[in-house]
Amino acid sequence: MTIVSGKADARRRLQSARSDVLRKMWEHRADYAYVLPAIAVMLIVIAYPIYYTIELSFFNTPPGLQLRDKIFVGFNNYTAILTSGVFWQVTFNTLIWTVASTFFSFVLGFAAALALHRDFVGRGVLRAILIIPWVISAVAASYIWKWIYHSDFGIIGAILVELGWAERPPNFIDSVSTVLPSLIVVNIWREFPFAMIMMTAGLQTVPEQLLRAAKVDGANAWQRFWHVTFPHLRNVSTVTILLLAVANFNSFIIPWIMTGGGPSNASHIWITHIYELAFGRQRWGVASAYSVLLFIILMTLGYFYVRALSGNERKDGSA
Amino acid sequence: MRRITVGGAVLRGAVSTALTISLMSGSALAAPPVDLSKWSPEYVRSIAGTQDFDTAGDCAKVTPLDYKGRLTFWYQGVFEGDPDLLRQYYKDFFATFRKTYPNIQLEEQALTYNDLLDKFRTALLGNAAPMAVRLQILGGTEFASKGYLQPLKPEDVGYSTEDFWPGAMKAVTWDGVTYGIPTNNETMAFIWNADIFKRAGLDPNKPPATWDDVVKYSKQIHDKLGIAGYGLVARKNAGNTPYRFMPQLWAYGGGVFDEAAPNPTYKEVQLNSPQSKAALQASYDMYVRDKSVPVSALTNQQADNQPLFLAGQLGMMISHPSDYNVMLDLQKKATGTDKDKAQTVIDNMRYGLIPTGPDGKRAVVFGGSNIHILKPEYVEGGKVDEPAAKAIICMWTSPEWSLKMAYAGSNPGNLNGFKTKWMKERLDSIKFLDVTTSMLPYGIPFPALPQSPEIMNIIVPDMLQNALTGAMTVDQAADDAAKKVKDLMGGGL
Repeated sequence: MTIVSGKADARRRLQSARSDVLRKMWEHRADYAYVLPAIAVMLIVIAYPIYYTIELSFFNTPPGLQLRDKIFVGFNNYTAILTSGVFWQVTFNTLIWTVASTFFSFVLGFAAALALHRDFVGRGVLRAILIIPWVISAVAASYIWKWIYHSDFGIIGAILVELGWAERPPNFIDSVSTVLPSLIVVNIWREFPFAMIMMTAGLQTVPEQLLRAAKVDGANAWQRFWHVTFPHLRNVSTVTILLLAVANFNSFIIPWIMTGGGPSNASHIWITHIYELAFGRQRWGVASAYSVLLFIILMTLGYFYVRALSGNERKDGSA
Repeated sequence: MRRITVGGAVLRGAVSTALTISLMSGSALAAPPVDLSKWSPEYVRSIAGTQDFDTAGDCAKVTPLDYKGRLTFWYQGVFEGDPDLLRQYYKDFFATFRKTYPNIQLEEQALTYNDLLDKFRTALLGNAAPMAVRLQILGGTEFASKGYLQPLKPEDVGYSTEDFWPGAMKAVTWDGVTYGIPTNNETMAFIWNADIFKRAGLDPNKPPATWDDVVKYSKQIHDKLGIAGYGLVARKNAGNTPYRFMPQLWAYGGGVFDEAAPNPTYKEVQLNSPQSKAALQASYDMYVRDKSVPVSALTNQQADNQPLFLAGQLGMMISHPSDYNVMLDLQKKATGTDKDKAQTVIDNMRYGLIPTGPDGKRAVVFGGSNIHILKPEYVEGGKVDEPAAKAIICMWTSPEWSLKMAYAGSNPGNLNGFKTKWMKERLDSIKFLDVTTSMLPYGIPFPALPQSPEIMNIIVPDMLQNALTGAMTVDQAADDAAKKVKDLMGGGL
């Protein structure tokens, strides 16, 4: 008897909660109507491609067949990826690329932001100059750097040979051991201004009176930075690092234009490899499986990004 | 009982007489317009300028000149390595087409060799392809085998199959059906700088006879002068790489399959045969052992070799006759002493036959482009304006325009192009054209398989890069490439 009445009670509560939700939705029907077009667009341009990519990742698409004649292979694409030597090489490259680019871009950007935070003559001009790498086209920058690095008649090589510091031009992008670091340098050059802008904005939120109070209390420059400035920049730093990491995971232009992933796959990162699999080799199924794996990794990063943002908001709200 | 009227009999008689005359004089019963068995520079000179053609008149029979329609058209156009002369002919072609067919609304789009396949494949997936497309010779079979192309043969646009190179027709045939028409066909030649040869202690008027000689000459040039000997190209996803490596592979007796045989079957993978490995070893010797070729070969294409050659920093390379015109164009842009240096290189530029292998085998890629019509279901809007497509195809593959559009770098797809007055003019004005026409009989087409683009643009360059970077030994790189081809042919992932 008691059990029966308990179940009925729970059902009533559930019904009441449902009707409450429906009532609230009805009350906010105008709000839903406003966001409906945006949701519809997102479903078409984001949700459907994600669904289709996941679906395609279970099919084989040989070069002699149209995509509509694809062959179902279950998880074979995932197995093939995870057992392929190239996958691990490309994954290793991607990790090196992402971690090194993100870390050095952030450190350099932060250092530039700190240097430019002080007031001195020409600060505005210098700030504008440092932003140039970020605002010029990545495609143009890649071609320029390709020529700078050129293994036979690049500018760097010519200068080194002219100065007698090298017998022949150094091999930057035609060697498996130097190509990735060389491309990372270009990427850092392009990305550090972004970190600089973010950190400059962050620095402007550090309360001046706290720094002055710390100075009055006898704190030296490092102590003021470590105990006052840095804690205020923690959240903006997290967001900047996460944004850089996501952007670097998704990098395509610089490696593709400068080396096409070569030589011998030494500068292939996930995105360039996926592109080659899909458009060069028409392995839409394998490329989709790669994309699904990349999507999972990026979603994980995205989760931490949103958490960092939420942390910011909570902190701002409580302050 | 049927009544036979006088009027009807006259009409039937007139029609059958006209049909007989047109078959006898027209293309359907025509013999090949040139004698391929006599092919030599002298023969080509003897036929040049012997026949006039009325392009607009011929194409009017296919699509009336007042036809009103709309055509979307993509084509592999000129790129950074082409001479200005060719750019002008492309402009002239489209201007002439618009003038000849003023009521056809033409929406054309030029794409470079390396971009066209990717973009075209993507467009096909979204049923957003153009109505007609001009593709590199490598691409036709892939799209025909997938069912994207409409059957299209020379007879559909007023010409005869015999008007085109037999090898070129193979490249547009899949499963016994013809799906396109060749626009141009090409074979490259061997180019060297006589002054560099002389300074390196080599005979300035004697090109290397064999590929082994290329390796030796390259080393000698590098050791004596400190510059690159041979212009090796090993970039991935660039047409230049297979066009330069395959002649070497075939000359050594190797191949991807048996494509160098008279009747290839494409059954057995030969990339890891001892002959193929010997060819790869020759590249390895030049790049790794002797360091006698540009270090940038792994990321370069032929367009990067051209300025090196003009600057006197490169002794030998494989390319089109158009490279002479490219050098002239580049020289015009040079200033000061660079201009004089460039002129010295141009004066010392020599063309010869591509070297042979150890057994005297000489080979070159039989390249070119073809033009195709898409099936309506893959075209944006779901409709193909066939008369408009046939009008542009008739014009491009005509003796006149198939020659003019290949003026400096290639040869006309339509063999009648060799008989035109423009061929005669070309022989007089394009230096070294004789050499590349002499290479035509040595031309070997890429395997006519849907997998060919991946093999030539990715697997073969990968094999080169794996060996040249030391990521693999020569044996491992060849075995790895052969396995990839086998997997690909077996429908593997």
